[in-house]
Formats: sequence, C-alpha cells, structure tokens
Amino acid sequence: MKKRFTRRILAALAVAGIAAGASLSAASQEAAPRAKSAEKAPPGPAPRTADRKIDFSGIWSADRNFTFDIHDALKKGEALPLQPWAEKIARERLSKDDPEALCLPTGVPRQAPYPWRIVQTGTHMFFLFEGNIHSYRQIFLDGRKHPEDPDPTWYGHSVAGWDGDTLVVDSVGFNEKFWFDFAGHPHSQQLHVIERYSRPDFDRLDYEITIDDPGAYTRPFTLHGHSTYQHNEELMEYICNENNQDVPHIVGKDPRNRYSKPQKPSGGSR
Amino acid sequence: MKAHMAVLFAGAGLLVWTMPVLAHHSFAAEYDADKAIVLKGVVTRIEWMNPHARFYIDVTDDGGRVTNWNLELASPNVLTRNGWKRTSLQIGDPVTVHGSLAKDGSKMANARTVVLPDGRTVFAASSSGNQ
Repeated sequence: MKKRFTRRILAALAVAGIAAGASLSAASQEAAPRAKSAEKAPPGPAPRTADRKIDFSGIWSADRNFTFDIHDALKKGEALPLQPWAEKIARERLSKDDPEALCLPTGVPRQAPYPWRIVQTGTHMFFLFEGNIHSYRQIFLDGRKHPEDPDPTWYGHSVAGWDGDTLVVDSVGFNEKFWFDFAGHPHSQQLHVIERYSRPDFDRLDYEITIDDPGAYTRPFTLHGHSTYQHNEELMEYICNENNQDVPHIVGKDPRNRYSKPQKPSGGSR
Repeated sequence: MKAHMAVLFAGAGLLVWTMPVLAHHSFAAEYDADKAIVLKGVVTRIEWMNPHARFYIDVTDDGGRVTNWNLELASPNVLTRNGWKRTSLQIGDPVTVHGSLAKDGSKMANARTVVLPDGRTVFAASSSGNQ
C-alpha cells in the first residue's frame, strides 16, 4: 500500500511540476520562450506566419463566461436583448434538455470547460475541441463566400478575413438546436456571428463576438472574452457519450440561474 | 477554488494544476451543494470514463446493511491534470468521501474530496462551487 501511494505522490508531483511551468524535454513546437526560474517572465510577442499574419495556433484555455451564462461576457451593466419568446423559452428550458448535457456540440459561441487547440494553415483554421464533444470547427481563410443556402449545422459555415492583425470570422448557417449556455439562452436559424480574434502577446487570445440574430434578439450584442495559452499542455481524449449517466438525475434548472424557480425533487429514477 | 485545492494538498506538500473545473452539465441542477455527505466505504467498481470518472463504494450501516453508492468525479482528463492516475483508486480500497448528494434521491453523490487508505485527502476535481 505504501509503495502504491508513493507512486501516486510521484505522479502528482510530476503534474505539479508541469503546473509550475518547469521545462519538459518534449516541449511543443509552438512553445514560447519561458523563464526557468519561479518568476514568470513576461510573454513574448504573438508569433506570425511566413506571410506575416498573426498565427493563432496553439492550445488555449476556455473562458467560463461562455459556459454558464453569456450575460457574464457582456460589458458590465448590459443585458441580453431577448425577444419575448426567447426570454420565455429561456425560463422554460430545463437543464436535463441542454444539448451539452446530452453530449451534443456546444455550437457557437458557447465554450465547453476544456482546453481547445487552434490549427491555422494558409487556407483553413481549425478549432479542435477536447470537449464537450471531441469535435472541430472549420473556418475558411481562402477567400470563399458563404454558400447561398447552407444546410443548418451545429457550427455553421465560417469564412474569415483580416482587419490588420485581427482575424474577423463571419459565420451563418446554424441550426437552432444548441443553447448558448447552461442558462438556456436560445437563438434562431437567422443567427449571424461575427468574431474578432486578436493575439496581443504570445499567451493571450482576445475575442469580441457579435451576435446578430433578428429571430431571437431585438438588436445585435457583443460578448467579450479571452483565453490563455496552455504551455506544456496537449489535448486529451474525451468521448462524452461513453458513460453519460447524468441526464436522468438532473432536476429542473440550475438554482443559480437567473431564470430559476424553486424545483421539487422528482423522487429519483431508481 | 485555488485556495480550496491548496488547503487540501497542503498536507502532502504538493502543488496542483489549477485548470478551471466545470462539468458538461449544470452541477447544481444534479447535486445539492447544501446537502453535504460523508460516506465511508469500500471501493467496489471504478469507471475511468468520460464524461465523468465514477467509482462505487459499499457503505455498511450500523445495522450491517450494505448500500452501494455511485460517486461522480471530474472527467479523467481533469483528474489526470490534477495528478490522478487511473490506478489511484483500487477495488477494495477503504475510502472516505466528502461530497454533495444527488437532488433526485438516488444513491449518488458528487465527490469533493476522497480520503485515501493511508489517510491522505485528495481533491476529487468535482465541479461543485464553480458554477
């Protein structure tokens, strides 16, 4: 028993070493120069591609303001301009019906609480998601336009262009199935998302995401977020529907949700 | 959360990964953070799978009646990033689990910390308190 625990502690210490930013022999190719001392050095500049564009490639943290309630990603004092039907459906939705709880995709701009990787080429950008499902989002950088009548999908159809060092991603063609957050904020198939990505330094990814959905909101609104580069991290496998036992046990809405009402326990499913 | 984790690991003198811990579902719609529970039992099964690792323990009450509890941890990914291994718990291990009861009355709980057989307490990377 003592030997086994020693192994556990050694494993934990190894991970703690990673957390402390200790240098590893197998550093990833996009790793930035890092101080080896305990003092954290200021991050270096954002890397650039051969054609001098900002290179967003790398593993990034999730922004929890895009997970629980997108109100959290509004500027202080703002509120979501929900149309009456959209507010009604947000009040009525139950957490057990959240597509994310059912291991379905987050859609856009919702984020799952797992790291994600950007892979940028001259013609494409891919967002590789560790969770909520092990999926990807594809963004075209080759100058193409949106199709005339795209089939509605979970991640939509995304094309991008540059505004100086800011990448502007324009997306349409979404289905109405995903929720914007745990709160259950809805959208319609008229959803049009404009994302502006910038990388002010090596470690920071900023984004301003404008939601224009005349089918569910009275005016466009903009969400603000950022991610942090995950040094010495790699994506891990996450197959959400392998053993998803939660759904039958989820009761009502999250009680911290702004639309919550008191819920009585159902009495159990077992 | 950082402070919480630091306290839990203080005895072992460890640093831990501080990646935010959230679930793929609303924690508070499934578990009641106000219904804390302490369960002492013996590990009967371990499921090192997504979206949550789970382990099951037999808890024997004062009358000798045995109840099997289903205990939810974070995902294997989050656990691994917090220093766990798939072998950290073994069938037959006597453990004490501090967690939050399922709201629906099931013999389920979300584990917050697990006291290992040697008395050490480890953070279970549950999603409680983060949402």
